[in-house]
Amino acid sequence: MRMTKIYEGAYQWIMLGRDVHKPEKIIDTNQYMVRTANRCLLIDPGGIELFAPMLAAVLHHAPVEEITDLFASHQDPDIISSLGLWDQALPNAKLHAAALWEGFLRHFGCETIEYVPIPDHGGVINLGAIELQIIPAHYLHASANFHVYDPHAKILMSGDVGAALEAPGMPVFVENFDMHIEKMRYFHQRWMPSNQAKRAWIDRVRKLDIDILAPQHGRMFKGDDVKRFLDWFEALQVGIAV
Amino acid sequence: MQVNQAKSQFVAVASIAAELSAVMEVAKEISLAAANAKAIAFRAGEKAKGFQPITDFINELAKDTIELVNNINEYAFHLYRLTVNEQRMTEACKRFEKVEQLAAGARYADSLTTSLQEVRLRTQLCHREFILQVSELLIKLADVMHPARAARVIAANSRIEASQAGEYLQSLQAVAESVDNAAQIINDKVHKCRSALTIINVAE
Ligand SMILES: [Fe+2]
Ligand SMILES: [Fe+2]
Repeated sequence: MRMTKIYEGAYQWIMLGRDVHKPEKIIDTNQYMVRTANRCLLIDPGGIELFAPMLAAVLHHAPVEEITDLFASHQDPDIISSLGLWDQALPNAKLHAAALWEGFLRHFGCETIEYVPIPDHGGVINLGAIELQIIPAHYLHASANFHVYDPHAKILMSGDVGAALEAPGMPVFVENFDMHIEKMRYFHQRWMPSNQAKRAWIDRVRKLDIDILAPQHGRMFKGDDVKRFLDWFEALQVGIAV
Repeated sequence: MQVNQAKSQFVAVASIAAELSAVMEVAKEISLAAANAKAIAFRAGEKAKGFQPITDFINELAKDTIELVNNINEYAFHLYRLTVNEQRMTEACKRFEKVEQLAAGARYADSLTTSLQEVRLRTQLCHREFILQVSELLIKLADVMHPARAARVIAANSRIEASQAGEYLQSLQAVAESVDNAAQIINDKVHKCRSALTIINVAE
């Protein structure tokens, strides 16, 4: 599992992905870790198949007892089907996930880990050294869906929004936005069901100061590409299957 | 728990649940047959005098069976939970071992050791509990055989009593027949449960 530091200050943001051992038919995912002096948050920790390489990578940065928080943007298997394994590996962890999904996510096994239900309007994840904001992104694409915003590092982890599907081993950042568009178009048109939800999200996100937009698949956007993405997404018609 | 073993354990536990619900249905049929027999015997009056206490007895047996099966169902459900847990923990052990292998040299690689040991221990405890529950279930299943066996004896007696019931002979004989059949079916189903459980035991 490749690790890329995307923020370094009093704490760190690390992107984990591009795993070379990933079974071929499994969608490639980006996981994110926020590491403070004594706590560690894993954002969209991934599917069962990714658990071993993921935890092995995290152990370079934090011991299991300091992995205190997990966040699931929504209920998809590529996001959190590993929950039952984390549940047995982490002695003192919380899972921050939508209240709406609780009864569903518990199917993966959640007995040791404390489920912290996020209400529809969002909330915060307090890691002591830093407080992260949980931003509603409902219907993008799941009925209850959240993103994580770090106002200090200016990073927005945007779940499936901003995702792109491309060949394994691609760079971690978008280098040429115009060339990247085709890799995102169908994914957003097909997976995102609602233009109304999309508009509400864009209005909300435009008010945030963002240096890096970090999706769960594909490449991250930084600097001006963040605004380019928002403009492009705003103009895109989604929900095309009906 | 190996993959195949886990599979056979799931299948065994599921088939026990299925057999038990079939036993339940049959016991309810016996209970109906008893009520039916009671009505006939009442109409037959003097001619079916010997038959009347038998119908009460049949009804008792059906009730006993239903109660036993209800109780056993709880065991079967518990076995199912244990199987799920054991399977999850076995899976976790496997994945944790993989983490250890991949994390060799990582700064905090050792921090997983406690979790791994704990899961191994809990898997063992869970399995021991499973074996214990299986043997208790085997005993309970033997208990269900008793009323079923008694029902067969009663069915034989009923036939004799029925033969003295004049024009009611046929209907009372039919009652005896259906009790006998039902008891036979319960016997078979319980046997199937027991052999499913024995397969698990042997697989250890
Ligand atoms: Fe998704
Ligand atoms: Fe996804």
